[in-house]
Amino acid sequence: MKYSYITPRKKTAFTQEIQLLLSFFTITILMLLFTYTFLLYKNYTFVKDKKATLTELASLEKSFDKMKASISYIERQQMLSEKVYTQNSVLKDSITNLFDLVPLRITLSEASLLKNGLILYGVTPNKDIYNFMLQAPLRSIFHRTYSSFYPAQNGWLRFVSTNYIDEEEELNSED
Amino acid sequence: MFTKLFEALYNKVFVNIVVKRSSTDVYIELCSKNGVIESAQNSFDTQSLSAEIIDFVASFTKESPYYYISILDISSDQGAFPTCSKNRLSYFYDVSASEHKCVDDKWTFYTSKTDIYEIEKRYHKIGIDFIFSPFTLLSNFFQDKISNNIAMYILMQDSFISLSVFENGVLLYAEHLDMETSGEGEDVLLSQEISDEEEVSLDDGIDLEDVDVIDDMEDLDDFGDIEDLDSLEEIDEFSENQDIEEEFYEAEEQIVESDDSEFNEDYQRFTLIQTSLGHYYNSDKYESEFIENVYIADGVGVSNDLKRYLEEEMFLNVYIRHTELGLEVSNLAKRELA
Repeated sequence: MKYSYITPRKKTAFTQEIQLLLSFFTITILMLLFTYTFLLYKNYTFVKDKKATLTELASLEKSFDKMKASISYIERQQMLSEKVYTQNSVLKDSITNLFDLVPLRITLSEASLLKNGLILYGVTPNKDIYNFMLQAPLRSIFHRTYSSFYPAQNGWLRFVSTNYIDEEEELNSED
Repeated sequence: MFTKLFEALYNKVFVNIVVKRSSTDVYIELCSKNGVIESAQNSFDTQSLSAEIIDFVASFTKESPYYYISILDISSDQGAFPTCSKNRLSYFYDVSASEHKCVDDKWTFYTSKTDIYEIEKRYHKIGIDFIFSPFTLLSNFFQDKISNNIAMYILMQDSFISLSVFENGVLLYAEHLDMETSGEGEDVLLSQEISDEEEVSLDDGIDLEDVDVIDDMEDLDDFGDIEDLDSLEEIDEFSENQDIEEEFYEAEEQIVESDDSEFNEDYQRFTLIQTSLGHYYNSDKYESEFIENVYIADGVGVSNDLKRYLEEEMFLNVYIRHTELGLEVSNLAKRELA
């Protein structure tokens, strides 16, 4: 200060009124910014969630397809198992019936079930017993029956009975 | 940077307070970059800070945050010295209890610290930014004359007389006179001092007998001697150093005719000036130079009688310039901020 005994008070454009006004505007702008930031964050999380959901959906669709494939595979397996069970039941019945066919005096040592035939190995006291008690029922079941004998050490006869079912004849008979 | 920007956006308000004997003048200027937009002046019949003054000031200061409130120092304990050297200040006055400022490394003005605190306390409700000395106002007002003349420069207020002598911009002498406290006793004391020192400074070619009129001041109500002065013939101008330009300037202004109360005051002013001039011539402290011209900054409206007394009694060329103190204080505030 060149002429005055005292220095002037510091002047500022920020009077109390201006400070109040600025505070109001600052608070308003801060609130708007906060809201904007909040919305941005929400939008970001929404987009992120949407992406995650879409990825999850795609993976679920994939797994759904896999599950569908598994289901169809299991269904096929079930059908197969049922078929096998049925076949096994039929086979069991057939074997039971076979063993029912064999008379007490004839002893079987081996039996081979073929797709369309049956081979029996066994021991019989003589040919007559075999012919009357085993071959006769076999001939009623199979279309072609072949028998061969060879003697055993104890005087009995070993036999091999080969029996076939002709499919054409089977079909014709069904018709 | 922002401060400068805001300052440029807002107008500046200069509130200038001049305290008088029984009133307070408030002069306010609203200034833009281009100059004064609006000005207002009001006088309040109080010396204290009244509610009316606060309201008047507030009605302008609310216009802009950049307002500056200035006041002309009303301390009776103030003055100026013809030096800036701290070592020499004590030679003139004990400045330990004073606030002082140096101007252009040439002269110093001072005032009482207590009075500054008093002013700040009195105006604390509106606050004070500048307190100016009458001597700075005087040097600013007569800056066109001070730099290239030797003359006495006087600022007339209704309660104070600030008197200074400048020679080519260098202060030789200054005194601040309080019209209320400068009583008779002081005058007698000064006159005794002068009579004791009559033999001094004869080499300067001053006829000290002219100063003897102070001896007759025992009764201020007795104006007989002054009335005698009126009957004197016109004194021929003895100086070749008259200021023609200032005379033209003065001729344009109307000088108020005096009534009785003004006459008394003008006489008191005359005696105070005379005493002070005598003190200047006779004191060893000051470098005395012969004064021919007196420039008066009239802030109170002195009558033509004062001029006549000074011219006829002391053989001085007197030039009176009317001044609006509020406006001058405002100019000082602007210079301070420039």
